Amino acid sequence: MITTGSKLLYGLGTATSLAAIVWFIANDGGVLGVVSLSFLAVALFFLGAIASYVRDGHVLSTETAAHASSNAAQRSVGRSWFPFGTAFAVGMVAVGMVSSPGIFKVGICLLFAMLGEWLIKNWSDRASADANYNEKVRAWVVHPLEIPVGGALLLAVIVLSFSRIMLSLSKESGPFVFAIAGALVLFFGTMVSLRRGASRRVVGVAAGVVLVALSGTGIAFAIDGERHELTVAAEEDHFAHRPCGEEAEEADEDAGRAVSAKSSVAATVILRDGRLFAEMDGWAGELDAITLQRSNPSTILFINEDDHEHRMVITYGKTTEDLGGGVTRDTVLESCTSLIGQGGTQAVSVVIPKPSFASEEPYSITVPGVEGASIEIQVP
Amino acid sequence: MKSSRRWSRVMKLTVSLSTLAFVAGCAKDAPQDTWQPAGPNAEKIDNLQRPIFYIAGIVGVIVFAAVAWVVFRYRDRGQALPEQSHGKPALEITLTVIPVLILIGVAVPTVGTIFDLAKTSDTEMTINVTGQQWWWEYDYPAVGDNKSEFGIESPIVTSGQLVIPEGTKVLLRVTSRDVIHSYWIPKLNGKKDGVPGRVHLLRIEGSKPGIYAGQCTEFCGLSHAYMRMEAVVLSKADYAAWVANQLEPYSSPSADNALAVEGEKLFLQQCSRCHQVNGLLNSDGTPNIAAPDQYLVSGAAPNLTNLMTRNTFAGAAWDLLTPECRDDVWNASSEEFGAKYLAGVSEECLNQKDLREWLRNAPEKKPMYADPTKLAETGGKYRGMPALGLTEDQINALVAYLLERK
Repeated sequence: MITTGSKLLYGLGTATSLAAIVWFIANDGGVLGVVSLSFLAVALFFLGAIASYVRDGHVLSTETAAHASSNAAQRSVGRSWFPFGTAFAVGMVAVGMVSSPGIFKVGICLLFAMLGEWLIKNWSDRASADANYNEKVRAWVVHPLEIPVGGALLLAVIVLSFSRIMLSLSKESGPFVFAIAGALVLFFGTMVSLRRGASRRVVGVAAGVVLVALSGTGIAFAIDGERHELTVAAEEDHFAHRPCGEEAEEADEDAGRAVSAKSSVAATVILRDGRLFAEMDGWAGELDAITLQRSNPSTILFINEDDHEHRMVITYGKTTEDLGGGVTRDTVLESCTSLIGQGGTQAVSVVIPKPSFASEEPYSITVPGVEGASIEIQVP
Repeated sequence: MKSSRRWSRVMKLTVSLSTLAFVAGCAKDAPQDTWQPAGPNAEKIDNLQRPIFYIAGIVGVIVFAAVAWVVFRYRDRGQALPEQSHGKPALEITLTVIPVLILIGVAVPTVGTIFDLAKTSDTEMTINVTGQQWWWEYDYPAVGDNKSEFGIESPIVTSGQLVIPEGTKVLLRVTSRDVIHSYWIPKLNGKKDGVPGRVHLLRIEGSKPGIYAGQCTEFCGLSHAYMRMEAVVLSKADYAAWVANQLEPYSSPSADNALAVEGEKLFLQQCSRCHQVNGLLNSDGTPNIAAPDQYLVSGAAPNLTNLMTRNTFAGAAWDLLTPECRDDVWNASSEEFGAKYLAGVSEECLNQKDLREWLRNAPEKKPMYADPTKLAETGGKYRGMPALGLTEDQINALVAYLLERK
């Protein structure tokens, strides 16, 4: 028997199947959307079958004659904010179409959410004459979707807000804020778990206040912008051009990909009192030459103890490109840190494929602007 | 009757297998025997493992005997179940305290040994050790004491055999270019993993001249079993001679040796794309620089500059010496060993069979992912030496050329 609840799910499943077909035609065979919608349709049909099997979880729902004559079967007279929400979503879709794909996508999601909620609310209002029971019926259907989606949205708001705050704070204060925030969460979490008598209302209000404060602070920091180094790095487009020139303030284009907690430091290079020297495990004292293994990622840490900003530049030969017609172009192979201030450290990871004797110029580590600051790199 | 005969057979089989296992553990000349240390670091491990082995053995015997006695004494003979009781605090505390005391007794010297083996402040020489599928590269940088104390004026690169001076605290900087490997010369020290992107430190020291065998001990792919290594310990005078020989400038084969001259040309055409021979010049007079980074996943191939000063090739999986000559070197006395090793590989002693088989079809001899039709996954790069399709004449020429690489 096809019950009232299962009709809704079968209907949605059919609509989703149709949407998959429309998507397939409209996107010239786009697979991702078709697969997603098809899975959704299968899930809805499955849920419909379950609803049929358990007869909507309530035997009375099958008594259609009684339902038809109940008050709930009559048109709902209560106020509903769904028309407003749906109109807002349609507006977002319209605005997004001419302005931003992001707004359009959010609008589409909101529109589907509004229509779905509206549909289910309308259906559940007719389930019986008892408003409380109707609300339960609605909850049975939509809570499995509402709660995880709501939780994910809440989490997204928290992550987004917190990330805006961290990106705006200085590198020095960021770790402190992170540690304090973590400690506060741990402390209040522990308190709430220990005080079993705590009012749910009080905890809920407190969490709500924190959420509002966090999102408000996040918005404020987002408006304020990211910290100086990130802004400069973005302006200099350091992912796109060679970063070791005098004109660039920020560098470290490979840092995200090559340096990680798994890497160990092959050598530490220190600039102190105008002298550049290296320290390596296995050798005592200050070195003016280091060795790196060929064709192997090596991480070199630069510590600037000088009172000016400096960067470390690693130079390891050049490549010659044949441009045709007897024309060649040499490109110097180099990697460098950003300009860092006194006491600052930064790591650079390099993979040197050729032995140092393959180069006319010796491989070296230098600090531009510091006379005689050079360390030889031996790559056997 | 049948049951008795079956029991007798089981007993005989058990005793035979146990005896076999016991006897196998008594191999006298096992080259990778952890119970025969040949250096202070391995001796520290040995001094730790022997008493612990004895303690564990005694405990094991007591436990096995107690279990066997209980099983036999209280076996089911149809008797009534004894009274079931729970808890015996005095016994339980005793049985907890005794193992704790034993473990504390074991932990104290263990921690001390671990710290001793991790010490680097007394290093006298440093060597980079880099693993890749399936061989080890050694490079001796011309930095610090390497240069000032041991005369390494410019970097030396070898493979297969690590050469160190006798009685010298050598620090190995172990890493890998592809997957995780593990470096282990049992007679000189414990294991150390070679992990890509990380440099791990391992100290070794050889007390007397000789060759000490090892094996990669972290499964690293198809030819893991063929990834071997040897550490050669030379007296300090012999080591100086070895260093001087390694730093000798390259010399082309003389015109008298036409086959070797032909081999040099062939090497430039076929081999020098991956294998470096320091000092080798291209036909236009420019230095030949190998580019293994373009052809190999690991970005490296063995440097063959002084191939015939080593006794092994192909990841130390095969000897360059014939069995007789090999035994002569391996079994030499400490006094004679240096001279015999430094003599390198002569034409009479060259293991022609294995070297020629390798040149003929390397992947057939040592399994490697070197099929040119199956390199899509690695972007066209090999994991080992491919079959070069050399003719027998070309192999003759290459062997003649390589024989001069001393």
